[in-house]
Amino acid sequence: MKDKQILVRDLLLLLAFAGWALALPHYGSEFVVSMALTCLMYVALSSSWGLFCGSTRYLSLATSAFFGIGAYTSAIALEKMAWLESIALGAGIATVVAVVMGAAVLHLRGTYFAVLTFGMTELIRHAVTYFEKKVTGTVGRVLTVVPDRDTIYLTVLALAVLAVLVSIIVRRSRFGLALMGIGADEQRAQTLGVNTRLIKVAGFAMTAAFAGAVGAAMAVRWTYIDPHTVFNPFIGFQTVLIALIGGAMTLWGPLIAAIVFSVLAETLRLQAPQVYMMSLGLLLILSVLYLPGGLASLRWATFSGWWRDSRGWARGLSRKERKNG
Amino acid sequence: MSLFSWLELIASGLITGGIYALVALGLNLQYGLMRILNIAHGEFLMLGAYLTWMAHTTLGISPLLMVPVSFLALMALGLVIHKLCFRRLTVTSPNLDIFEARGLMVAFGLMFLVQNFASFMWGGDLRGYDYLAEPVKMGEAQFAGNKLLVFGLALLFSGALIALLRFTLLGKGVRALMQSPTGAQLVGIDTQRLHPLMFGIGLGLSGVAGCLLSMAYTITPSMGEPYTVTALIVITLGGFGSMSGALAGGLLLGVVEALGMHFTNPSLKALLSYSVFIAVLLLRPRGLFAK
Repeated sequence: MKDKQILVRDLLLLLAFAGWALALPHYGSEFVVSMALTCLMYVALSSSWGLFCGSTRYLSLATSAFFGIGAYTSAIALEKMAWLESIALGAGIATVVAVVMGAAVLHLRGTYFAVLTFGMTELIRHAVTYFEKKVTGTVGRVLTVVPDRDTIYLTVLALAVLAVLVSIIVRRSRFGLALMGIGADEQRAQTLGVNTRLIKVAGFAMTAAFAGAVGAAMAVRWTYIDPHTVFNPFIGFQTVLIALIGGAMTLWGPLIAAIVFSVLAETLRLQAPQVYMMSLGLLLILSVLYLPGGLASLRWATFSGWWRDSRGWARGLSRKERKNG
Repeated sequence: MSLFSWLELIASGLITGGIYALVALGLNLQYGLMRILNIAHGEFLMLGAYLTWMAHTTLGISPLLMVPVSFLALMALGLVIHKLCFRRLTVTSPNLDIFEARGLMVAFGLMFLVQNFASFMWGGDLRGYDYLAEPVKMGEAQFAGNKLLVFGLALLFSGALIALLRFTLLGKGVRALMQSPTGAQLVGIDTQRLHPLMFGIGLGLSGVAGCLLSMAYTITPSMGEPYTVTALIVITLGGFGSMSGALAGGLLLGVVEALGMHFTNPSLKALLSYSVFIAVLLLRPRGLFAK
């Protein structure tokens, strides 16, 4: 396929998904809509995560920090501001925090970066808890001014579509190429004239803006928030999980994995939460071991490769038996 | 503040610090040696704690006797996990960076798996038992007997591991592997055998730590994560892979926390340890004692 054909295909696919999601509240039950909302939230989070972390291979665990910052911002701002303004403010504050954080830690690679972003998330969570305890007097916040369900749904849908759209555009821009270059070989990219520091901070800030906006939109859904729920590291982990299982380098991988996950989560979590989490862990291990490119890299050749592997393994076993017997 | 209360404060900090050092031993071996950042470290520690708790409450076995048992049980588990996951990972990863990232992800999977297995098996309640809970008087100061015992054993195990690495042939091989995996292979060290063994020993040590901790603290299926973070902080302080550094780092962290909590307030404890952690990672990423 030619480049332009791929672009048209991607845009059409996105349009189809968006149309389907738009029609869903009109015929789906309450349960289906809430499931779709979770799904859209993870589409937005993991697509935007993959945009920076997938292409540069900087493994950020800070998504929950930006999500929580957005949630707290909208919880405070909604009393005085309009709905869209408070979401924009949430995204803005998350971006500012990401720029500061990125400037401090983006020179470290690999595990150092992952561990540091995790540590900073926890630091922010404890700092907010402490601040709320000392200054406000309570830890949780009840949201009194809440927009109706359809507004929240449409906002999160718009954010998800925007996240995928931005991924499509960035992939074809100079900026996207620079990100890919950093992922492939950072020093070479630098030698070829890419301002890696600026590009990295910009990419990191973009991811954070989406996470902050999604957090701001989802906070009203819960009507009561406290640092433990909105800064929950699990939000960050699950975002990373979805992106990796789907294929962090690809455009559609995170979306496919987000759908699979939300269905799995909603059907399993209520009956057997531990079984859900255990299967999540197992899925993660299996996908890292046997499908490192993610669900989106699944082709017929992958299956035949597994088949060959298992036959080789069985042959090895029988050979061993013959030797012993 | 009198001299005596200073001493008491520092002593209590040192005791906590010794426990921190103990918690970090296994992870230090795994990350320093094999670049496997086992984020599920605390979860395996929790398994060791539950094993001890079960054996003590149902069979009446002394927790001290469970120290070697939990070491062996978790070491066996570690060998199995290495064979199932990390061996394939070593073969298929094109370079060390990718191996590290993938290993971290596998460890995340293990974390979900083990933690939820435990809460599935034993429920989410707080558990615990009394063992040597009466205070021991030392001059004017009083310390809990079980914490003193845990502190003593923590120092013993750290010392033993440092000695093992420094003075035996096995330790020499392990240190060679830490410095350069390829070089170690070239001079005839069997890395194929040493790798699983060291991963197993690392997990076994976390089992020992869990067993000892269950004597002094209550246990829950979600107790693992704070210990993982503590272990991470301690090994960053000491420099990845350095056993004596981790011991010193653990003791230092304990004293800093005790002093900081005394002079500010207890709810700042988590904030304090994370700040120390981030400051060290940013300013001295190779550890406080690196030359």
